[in-house]
Amino acid sequence: MKRRLFVMFLALVVIMVLTACSDQTPGTAGSDMTSDNAGSVDSGSSGGKPQVKITYFNTSAEVNTMFEDMFKRYNELFPNVIIELIPTGIGEGQQEKLQSLYASGNAPTFMNVDPANVIEYEDHLLEFTEENASWLSLASDGAVDGGTFGGKVLGAPWSVQGYALLYNKRVVNEIYGEGKFDPTTINTRDALKAFLEKCEAAGVPATMLHGANWSLGGHYLTLTYAVQGPNTSDGTGFIDKLKAGTAKIEDSPIFQGYIDTLDILAKHNYNKADPLVGDFNKDIQAFGEGKCATFFMGDWSWTTMVTLENVDQEYGFIPVPWSNNPEDYGNTEVVMVLPKFQCINKSQSTPEQQQAALDALRWMLTEPEGQQFFIDAGFFMPYKNVRDDVVYNSMTSSISDYAQRGKTINLGCFSYISGDAWTETGNLMLKYLAGAIDRNELAQGINNYWQSVK
Amino acid sequence: MNIRNKLLTNIGNFVVFLGPCLIAFTCILLIPLFYGLYLTFTDYSPISTTFDFVGFSNFREVFSDKEFWQQFVKTLGYVFYSAIFCNITAFILAYLLAGNIKAQNFLRAGFFTPNLIGGIVLGYIWKFIFANVITTVGDILDYQPLKTSFLTHPDRAIVAMIIVTVWQYSGYLMTIYIAGFVGIPKDIQEASEIDGATGIKKLFSITIPLMVPSFIICFFIIISRGFMTYDLNLALTNGQPYGSTRLAAMHIYQKAFQANEYGIGQAEAIIFFITVAIAAVSQVLLTKKFEVEA
Repeated sequence: MKRRLFVMFLALVVIMVLTACSDQTPGTAGSDMTSDNAGSVDSGSSGGKPQVKITYFNTSAEVNTMFEDMFKRYNELFPNVIIELIPTGIGEGQQEKLQSLYASGNAPTFMNVDPANVIEYEDHLLEFTEENASWLSLASDGAVDGGTFGGKVLGAPWSVQGYALLYNKRVVNEIYGEGKFDPTTINTRDALKAFLEKCEAAGVPATMLHGANWSLGGHYLTLTYAVQGPNTSDGTGFIDKLKAGTAKIEDSPIFQGYIDTLDILAKHNYNKADPLVGDFNKDIQAFGEGKCATFFMGDWSWTTMVTLENVDQEYGFIPVPWSNNPEDYGNTEVVMVLPKFQCINKSQSTPEQQQAALDALRWMLTEPEGQQFFIDAGFFMPYKNVRDDVVYNSMTSSISDYAQRGKTINLGCFSYISGDAWTETGNLMLKYLAGAIDRNELAQGINNYWQSVK
Repeated sequence: MNIRNKLLTNIGNFVVFLGPCLIAFTCILLIPLFYGLYLTFTDYSPISTTFDFVGFSNFREVFSDKEFWQQFVKTLGYVFYSAIFCNITAFILAYLLAGNIKAQNFLRAGFFTPNLIGGIVLGYIWKFIFANVITTVGDILDYQPLKTSFLTHPDRAIVAMIIVTVWQYSGYLMTIYIAGFVGIPKDIQEASEIDGATGIKKLFSITIPLMVPSFIICFFIIISRGFMTYDLNLALTNGQPYGSTRLAAMHIYQKAFQANEYGIGQAEAIIFFITVAIAAVSQVLLTKKFEVEA
C-alpha cells in the first residue's frame, strides 16, 4: 500500500513538473509584455517614461565587449531603456542563431549584421526615413547608398574596411631605400610584376596569398564583379547575366586580367610550397615579422597584428592591377567596403521598442560619446561629424588616404552575393591555386555555380 | 477494487519510469523527425513568414545535386575504413591488454582517454599536429611527403580524418572487446587447450567466434557514429581543401543553413537517415548469423 502511494505521489510530481514547464513560458512572455508595453515598472526614476527592454544581436564577434560597455553607458544616460546584447562568437554559427531567433518569434529588436543578411531579412526590417532617422544625413557620401536595398534604406553603416595588397613598409624601404617607394607607381600589372621581382631579387619572398576560400573567393574573385564598373549596378548587372547564362565569366577581360595577376602573385607566393594551409595567425605573424613583402589582405588584420609580438607597425596598401592600362578602373584603387550594417526589426517588435532602437542608434552612431566607443576600438566611421583629430593605425589610415583621394573600388555588389557564393567559388579558386584545375575549368565552375543560383 | 488498483499502479509505474523519457524522446526526436519530414514537402525558410507546399520538388533537387552524392560516396568510404581500422586496432589492443600485462589499468585508461575528449577539441589538437608538428618533423628529416600538411591535399585530408577517428574510438571499442575476452568461459578455453588448440588457432577457432556479440556492438557503434560525424569534420578540416572533405552531415548542414535551401537540406537529411538506418540494421542482422552458442 505504502509503495503504491509513493508511486502515485511520484507520478503526480512528474506530471506537475512537466506541466509547470509548459505553463512557465506564456507566463514569462506575458510579464515581459507588460514591462515592454504598459511600462508600469520603475516609472519614477525614468521621469515618467515607460521602461523599454530591447535586444541587440551582434555578429562582429571581436567587439562584443565594446557593445556591452556601450549599452551599459547608454543605460546610465537613459535609465528607461535596457539594451540586452545577444553576442555571438567567430565561427559559432551566427546565421543559424539569427535564423532560430526569427523562427522562434524572438527576433532581436535591432542588430549588427552582414549586408547579405539585410537582403535576406528585408521583409522584416524597418525602413530608415527622413522622419525616423534624420541623423543618417550625417553619414558620409555613398555610405547610406551601401545600406540601401531595393530603394529602401534598411541598414545604418558604422564602419569602413578596405583590402588590397598590404605591404610591409620596413621591408620595402630596405629594398628601395628609405622613402623611395611610391605605391601609386604600381598602377599596371607589369609595374606590379617588376616590383615583386625586385623584392625577390633582394632575397625577400614577394607576396603571400592566404589559402582560404573567404580570401580568394570572397575578396579576390569578387574584384572581377566589382571592377565591372564604378556603380553597384554594374557589378550586380554582371552577376545577373552570369546567373541567366547570357554572359560567360571567361569572356570578361577583367576576369582574365585578375587571373593573370593571380598567376603572378601565386608564382611569388610565400606559401607556395603548401598554398592551402590557410592558417591566418601563422600568415599574419610571418607578414608582420617581414618574412614576405606583401600580403593580399585587409585592414582588419590589424586587430590580430596588435596581439602579436616582434612585428612591424607600419603598413600600407598597394592596388591589385588587372591590366597594363593605368587608366583602367581598379588599377589604382583599393577596395573600400561597408562590412556591417545596423538594422531594426519591425515584424516582431512593438512601435515603442522600434523607437527606442532608433534613439539608441542615433546616439551610438552620431553622438560624440557613442562614436568614441567605436573610435577607441579602432574603427573608421563613415560619418561627417566624427572627431577629426583621431589617429588611426597605419592600415586604416592608408585606406582612408585612398578614400580621400577618391581612389576606391565600390564593392556594393558584394552585398548581393549571399549564401554560399564565396565558399563555393572560393573552393574553386583554391583548386586553381593548388593546380588541381586549369583556368578553363575554373571559369566553367564559376559559370556553373552562378547558373545554379536562383 | 483490486483490478482497478492494479491498473492505477501500472499507470503510475509507467508515468514514473517511462514518462519523462517518453516525453523527452517525443519532444526532441519524434516531433522534429516528423515535422522535418513534413517540411521536405515545402519551401520553408526560417526567414520568410510564409511557406508553400512544393510536393516532391525538393527530392528531385536532391537527385540533381551532384555534389551531395559525391560527398555521400566519400562518407561511405570514410565510414568503411574507419570501421575496419578502428575495430582492428581496438581488438589488438584488447587482446594485448586482456592478458596479464604490467601497468594494465594504466594502459587501458590511457587508450580510453581520447574518447573523453570532445570531437571539437580533438579536431583542433590534431589540426595542430598535422599542420605544425608533422611538417616540422618532415623538415628535420628532410622527407618530402611529410613537409606539406596532411590537411591540404584532398585524399590525404580524408586519411587524416580516418586516423583521428581511429584514435578517438579505438580505446572505447577496446573496453567492449576486453569485456568480451573476459566473458569467455574459462572451461571452454581450458578444454580447447587440452584438445591442443594454442595461440592463433585458439584465437580464431574459440575466442573470435565467441566474441561475435562484441563485434556486433562495436561495428554498430562505429558505423552509426561515423555517418553522423560532424564535430570532428568541422574542427579538423572544415571541408577543406576546397570542399573535398565535407562529409554528408556537413554538406546537409551547409545546404540548409548557408545556402538557405532548407527544404533540400532536409530532404537530403531524410535520405541520409534512411541510408544510415539500413546500413546499421543490415550490419547487425548480417553479423548476428555468425553468433554461436558456447
